[in-house]
Amino acid sequence: MTPTSQIPDWLGVAASAALVGIAVAVALRARLGLTRELVWASVRAFAQLLAVGAVLTVLFAVAGLLGALAWVAGMVVVAGFVAAGRSKELPKARRNAWIAVGIGTATTLGTLLVLGIIDPVPTVVVPVGGMVVSGAMTAASLTMRRLADVAEQQRADIEARLALGLTSDEAMAPHMRRGVKTALLPAIDSTKVVGLISLPGAMTGLILAGVEPIVAIRYQIVVMYMLLAAATVSAVVAARLTERSLFDDADRLHRVGSPR
Amino acid sequence: MGVVVAEAFSLVDVVLERDGRRVLDGVSDHIHHGMATAVLGASGSGKSTLLRLLNRFEEPTSGEIRLDGRPIGTYDVHELRRRVGLVAQRPTMLTSTIGEEVRLARPELDDEQVRLLLERVALSTMRMDRATSTLSGGEQQRLALARALAVEPEVLLLDEPTSALDDRAAQSVDQVVRSLVSHGLTVVLVSHDLDRVLGLVDRVLVLDEGRLVERGEPGEVRYLS
Repeated sequence: MTPTSQIPDWLGVAASAALVGIAVAVALRARLGLTRELVWASVRAFAQLLAVGAVLTVLFAVAGLLGALAWVAGMVVVAGFVAAGRSKELPKARRNAWIAVGIGTATTLGTLLVLGIIDPVPTVVVPVGGMVVSGAMTAASLTMRRLADVAEQQRADIEARLALGLTSDEAMAPHMRRGVKTALLPAIDSTKVVGLISLPGAMTGLILAGVEPIVAIRYQIVVMYMLLAAATVSAVVAARLTERSLFDDADRLHRVGSPR
Repeated sequence: MGVVVAEAFSLVDVVLERDGRRVLDGVSDHIHHGMATAVLGASGSGKSTLLRLLNRFEEPTSGEIRLDGRPIGTYDVHELRRRVGLVAQRPTMLTSTIGEEVRLARPELDDEQVRLLLERVALSTMRMDRATSTLSGGEQQRLALARALAVEPEVLLLDEPTSALDDRAAQSVDQVVRSLVSHGLTVVLVSHDLDRVLGLVDRVLVLDEGRLVERGEPGEVRYLS
């Protein structure tokens, strides 16, 4: 089987620009005022993917497992910036996001490698690592955003508990549970409906590349399980670290909120 | 009066600066055991901040605060907060039923102990499984008092406990506070209204822009609210 036979060549890619033409024509017709944005988005996607394709081709050719892991570490750094960006008002947000995404990724990717589930080669570690980092990032980001809202809106509730002599852990407990649960709902929901509503990326990619669906789903099952682990670990670590950063050593809740 | 009373709190030249402004400016005083003290002042005078210093919700920039002769920073902070209860301005219900609310920090209390606490805040006629959300503002504030009393504090701090309530509800809370004071609980009460605390407290401190400008018995001090 030569899977590449089913992948469009450059001529095909050029022809697919006709689809952008259709979108632009429809947008013009409907006076959406989106023409420039449609074209810009299409050009950006082309340039970004070309660059990533070139970089990954070089990376796969020259880097070993260590190079691939370094690449994943780089993704963790970027993901930390993104996750923390949603809750800048939290103390130590970036540090906490990096640690949460890092631990979520290391635990998940480490398990996959140690149990021999995936091959320790860059062509596998980099794309799988990317999915893991992305899942961990979403969970950390949602958890931290939720706890930032809690610290701002539930101040009276938390202080009323602290005033009774409860520890910050005890005072935050109900909010922590709710925060982590909310952050994990997207990961759990998408796991529940996988295959019913969406044919997810890994499986779609394999099928497009000519792999039998019954074989392709094996990869997808692994992907879903690893995303659950990455999200859960990352959310719980993010929640713990955020909680600790929210209180000082006398269990006082830091003032969190958009400065007016 | 010649009676020696033990000091609960001693404040020595307490200063608190926030954003370059002196919220409290050299406050020194003693708060005695078994007495009710009112801290009066306009909004922004630093009176709530003074209260929040006593359970370490705030930290002074300089100066010292002692409880029973020991700097409050040397107590385990959770022990300090069990000794020094605080009831906030707006009643915040933390659980769904009256019984749960009283037991929040003392889950081991039996029904009889909970009933006694509810009696102290004039809520003993209520069923313990009644939803806290169905209570009026005054009832919620009295339940918040019971929740704080359950921890058996030596000192109870009250941050304008009636200012968010209508007059009748406020009177019901005042009545409970008066009975707690008459039973010897040490109370520090923040208010902006001298009339409200007349006949309720033994001593009044008046704060103006962070400075302690008057102190004495309620009848003695000059304070225009």
